[in-house]
Amino acid sequence: MPKMLPTIVRNLFGGPATRLYPVEVRKPFERTRGHIVFDDEKCTLCGGCARRCPAAAIEIDKEKKELIFYPGRCIICEVCAENCPRGAITVKEEWRKPFYEVPVEVHHPKGKKEKAS
Amino acid sequence: MSKVVRTVAPFGPQHPVLPEPIQLKITCEDEKVVDVVPAIGYCHRGIEKACELNDFPKNIYICERICGICSCIHGCSYCEVIERLFGVEIPPRAKYLRVIWSEMSRIHSHLLWLGLLADAFGLESMFMQFWRIREKILDAMELTTGQRVTQSVSIIGGVRRDIDSEQQKKCIDIVREVKKETEELGKVLMNDYTVKARTVGKGILTREQAITLGCAGPTLRGSDVAEDCRMQGYQAYGELGFEPIVEKDGDSYARAVVRLRETLQSCDLILEAFSKIPEGEISIKVKGNPPANEAVFRAEQPRGEVFYYAKGNGTRNLERLKVRTPTFANIPALLVMLPGCELADVPVIVLSIDPCISCTER
Repeated sequence: MPKMLPTIVRNLFGGPATRLYPVEVRKPFERTRGHIVFDDEKCTLCGGCARRCPAAAIEIDKEKKELIFYPGRCIICEVCAENCPRGAITVKEEWRKPFYEVPVEVHHPKGKKEKAS
Repeated sequence: MSKVVRTVAPFGPQHPVLPEPIQLKITCEDEKVVDVVPAIGYCHRGIEKACELNDFPKNIYICERICGICSCIHGCSYCEVIERLFGVEIPPRAKYLRVIWSEMSRIHSHLLWLGLLADAFGLESMFMQFWRIREKILDAMELTTGQRVTQSVSIIGGVRRDIDSEQQKKCIDIVREVKKETEELGKVLMNDYTVKARTVGKGILTREQAITLGCAGPTLRGSDVAEDCRMQGYQAYGELGFEPIVEKDGDSYARAVVRLRETLQSCDLILEAFSKIPEGEISIKVKGNPPANEAVFRAEQPRGEVFYYAKGNGTRNLERLKVRTPTFANIPALLVMLPGCELADVPVIVLSIDPCISCTER
């Protein structure tokens, strides 16, 4: 019994080890790879992200000047964000909520290419 | 005199103790197992072929998905084999960081297994206690790498993220806490008489059998063979003074003790690595395509030895990538352990090799 006393006291006042998700959500850590966000103002449709993406989640349509992103395919590896020369892709900490329909994001980037001097 | 009837009982592919599909056709005489025939092939995904069709830097993310539990070590091993193909040496800090993350994933895998073992006996509360400890390690992983399970932290030429001094302090606290709690809980699990009744003397694999059948990992070390890939001193293990953990009995209990002791040893290895980690670069640039050459790499996963073979042909794609995973080496041992045991002991003995079928079939 004396051996068990510290454990009993700890369990009595320690509170539960679990959280009441989704009511109570843990704050994600800094630099957690949650989801990626595109900045249409900066993107110049260079296509580096689409070439490097291991999950083929990004497609570039040069004729229509569109960037098509499939969040359901994205594995949040951060390769696109690391290699974007304009810093147009950022990784946010929050995880995406589950979805019922396959989402497709169509972006119309407006960034202009700088002329090589 | 009554005649003993032989019956064949299918064990799996869906069974409460198996998280993954494998079928064992168990021939029983009354309640005694006399013969076992395994059937695998329920979750083949063609990963090796996919790796040949993909660009080589993208394969890291496919290889990480060979196994959900040891994904970090799969990613590191793939990067290592490609670095050997290129003939480049990564910076020392990257080597230490790889060791830290590999050992973290070993702790998380072993704690997961200890929880599953408790669950197989019906010790539900113990199962949750182990998984509660494991959650802390997953938090440490998320803090340092950005993801809980699929870390994606290794790249060809080093690692992508550094551990700064603040994160290091937090990680050391977490690892110390995990070690203390695992020690406490491990004592309760291993001294419990119901656990001993179900594991001591069950599923015996002798030293000779283990060597002949080419077992790997804790299954091998539980049978008194001091064989561990980390003894080669790859990455930074050579500087950490690693000693393999060996148990003599060769039964399910010995294999559980090996895993429990390895969890504590991994905590020590992480603490030692943090104390010795050098400052400096974390990655180097590797340019060009893999040359037309071959390379191999052996690493120690939580379940045993993993073997990577890569052959380049001078283009962006690899000619061949071959992975040999530890469970494939341990399935033959099951066929020796099971005959002679009671049908009711089969789940615990199967669990004692820590089968990972998605690794095996890829």
